[in-house]
Amino acid sequence: MTETVLLQLALRREQDVFTLRQRGREAATALGLEHQDQIRLATALSDVGRVLLARAPAVEVVFRVCRHPDRLRIDLAVDGSVERGPLQPAGRLVDGLEVVEHGKRTVVMLSRRLPVTGALTELRVDELRRALGMTAVASPLDELATQNEHLLAALEDVRRQRDRLTVLNDELEETNRGVMALYHQLNSELEETNRGVVALYAELDEKSSQLRAASEAKTRFLANVSHELRAPVTSVIGLIRMLSDPSSDPLTPAQQEQIELMRGSTSDLLTLVNDLLDLAKAESGRLQPDWQTVSLDRLFRQLRGTVRAILTNPDVELIVDEPGEDAWIESDEALLSQVLRNLLHNAVKFTEHGHVALHVRSDERNWMFTVADTGSGIPADEQERIFEEFVQLPSRHKVLGTGLGLPYARRLTGILGGSMDLDSQPGRGSEFTVTLPLVRQA
Amino acid sequence: MDRVPILKIGPVLLVSIQVDMQDQVALQLQEDLGERIVATGAKGVIIDITGLDIVDSFVGRTLSTIASISRVLDAETIVVGMRPAVAITLVELGLSLNGIRTALNVERGMELLSRSTEPDSPDEFDLDLDDLSETTSP
Repeated sequence: MTETVLLQLALRREQDVFTLRQRGREAATALGLEHQDQIRLATALSDVGRVLLARAPAVEVVFRVCRHPDRLRIDLAVDGSVERGPLQPAGRLVDGLEVVEHGKRTVVMLSRRLPVTGALTELRVDELRRALGMTAVASPLDELATQNEHLLAALEDVRRQRDRLTVLNDELEETNRGVMALYHQLNSELEETNRGVVALYAELDEKSSQLRAASEAKTRFLANVSHELRAPVTSVIGLIRMLSDPSSDPLTPAQQEQIELMRGSTSDLLTLVNDLLDLAKAESGRLQPDWQTVSLDRLFRQLRGTVRAILTNPDVELIVDEPGEDAWIESDEALLSQVLRNLLHNAVKFTEHGHVALHVRSDERNWMFTVADTGSGIPADEQERIFEEFVQLPSRHKVLGTGLGLPYARRLTGILGGSMDLDSQPGRGSEFTVTLPLVRQA
Repeated sequence: MDRVPILKIGPVLLVSIQVDMQDQVALQLQEDLGERIVATGAKGVIIDITGLDIVDSFVGRTLSTIASISRVLDAETIVVGMRPAVAITLVELGLSLNGIRTALNVERGMELLSRSTEPDSPDEFDLDLDDLSETTSP
C-alpha cells in the first residue's frame, strides 16, 4: 500500500477551520470527486475541525492519497482524548470515520473513496501535491499566523528581558541600600571619633592651662621664698662679719673655726637664694632684656678675667677666643655675660684635667658661642635632665653647686632670642653651644 | 473583516450571501441583521444562500439563531436559494434548521412573505423539515 502526503496544515483558530474546508474542497475537486461529494467532504471537515478545536488548542491535519483502493484520507490529530458522539454526524458524510488513540494523542481519520475513472498516476499526485502546497504557502492567513507567532515570541522575549532587568534593578537597589547603610555607619563612627578627638583636645587644653597655672604658682612661690630668705641670710652674714671683726672681742681658736664654717655655709646659702631669685625672675617673664650693641671683644676680656679668678686648678688651661675689635652683637650685655659665665663656671667646676675653652664663630645671621671642656662628660640619656632645676648628676655630687646654673643660662638664652645645644660624651668632655641672632629679632 | 450586505426592499430585508462565510462574518451578520430589523421595522427577512456551497453545523445553527432573533423582533425569516448539494448534506448531517422557513428562490420567498404578513392569514411557523424536504426536490 502506498501513501502520498498531499498537504499538511495546523488549526489554531476558528478561521483555520474555514481554511481547512476550503483546502478540503480544493483537494476533493482536484482528485475528481463529484460536486455533491466535494460539499460533503468539506462540510465534514468543517464540523470535525470545529469539534476538535473546541477540545484542544491545536489540530494537526494531514491530507493523504492512499492506493488500492484509491482513496483520500485526512487525519486530524490532537493531544488528549476525544468524545466520539459529536463526530458521528460528520461520519455520515464520508465513507469512513475512525478515531484512533496513540498514547496521549488521538487521531480522527476521514476517508473517501476516489472515483475509479480518474487515472491517478504518481505523476498526477505529485503535481497535485505541488499545486496544493503552493496555495498553502501563499495563504495570507498562514503567513499572518506565522508572523503573529514570531511577534508573540518576540514579545515573550522582551517580557523575559524586562523581568531580568527588574531583577537586576532590584539587586542593584539592594546593593545601593547596603552601601548607603555602610556609609551612614562609617559616617556616624567618624562623627563619634571626631567628638572623642574634640573632647580630648578640650581635656588637653584644660590640662595645659592647669599646668601653666601650677608653673606660675611655683614661680611665684620661688620668688617670694627667695626674697624672704635673702634678708635673714644677709643679716646673718653681717653678724658673722661683726663677730670676726678684729675690733670686737677676741674669739677662741675653736670659735674662730666655727665662725669660718658658718661664713662658708651662709655664703653658699646666699648664692643659692640669689640663683633662685634670678631663675624665678626669668621664668615669670618679667625679665626684659636691655637691648644694646655689645662689643664681643670687651665682653670676652671681662669673662677671661672673672673665670681666671675662680680657676684654681693648675692642670686646667683656660682658652678664650679674641673676636677682634669690630665684632659686635645686639643683645643685653649683662644677661649674655651671665649666660656665658654660668657655662664657663660649670665647665671649670667639672673639669680636672685639660682645658676649658670659649670659642666664637658666626654665619650670616647668628653668633655661635661654644664653651668646651675636657671634663667627665654627660651620658646621652641624661643630657636633657641637666637643664632641669636642682638636678645634679650622681657622678658630680662631690662638686659644690645649686643645680640652678644651667637651667638659668638656658632660660636667659631663650629670653635673648637664641637657643642652647649640648654635645657631650662621657669621658671626652662637653660642648655647650649658644646660638644668638646678630641683631634683635622682631 | 468582510460584511454581508443587507438590502431593504419595501418592508423586506434581503440578505444575499455570495461566498463561503467565515464564522466571524456569520456572527457579524447575526448582529447587523438584528439592528437593521429594529431600525427599519421590517416585517420580513429573506436570506439568499445561493452562493453558499458549504453549510456545516455551525452555519446551520447560526441561520436558526438568526431566524429566532428575527421572530422575536416580529420579522419572518425565509431562507431561499439553497443548493441541492447543500440540502443533501444538511439532511445527511441530521441538521434540522429549526424555525426556518424556506423557499426555492427570492421571488417565491417574497410571495410567501406577502401572504403571511396579510391580516388574518394563518401563521405557519413550524414548517421546518416539511418545508425543507419540499425545497430539496427541485
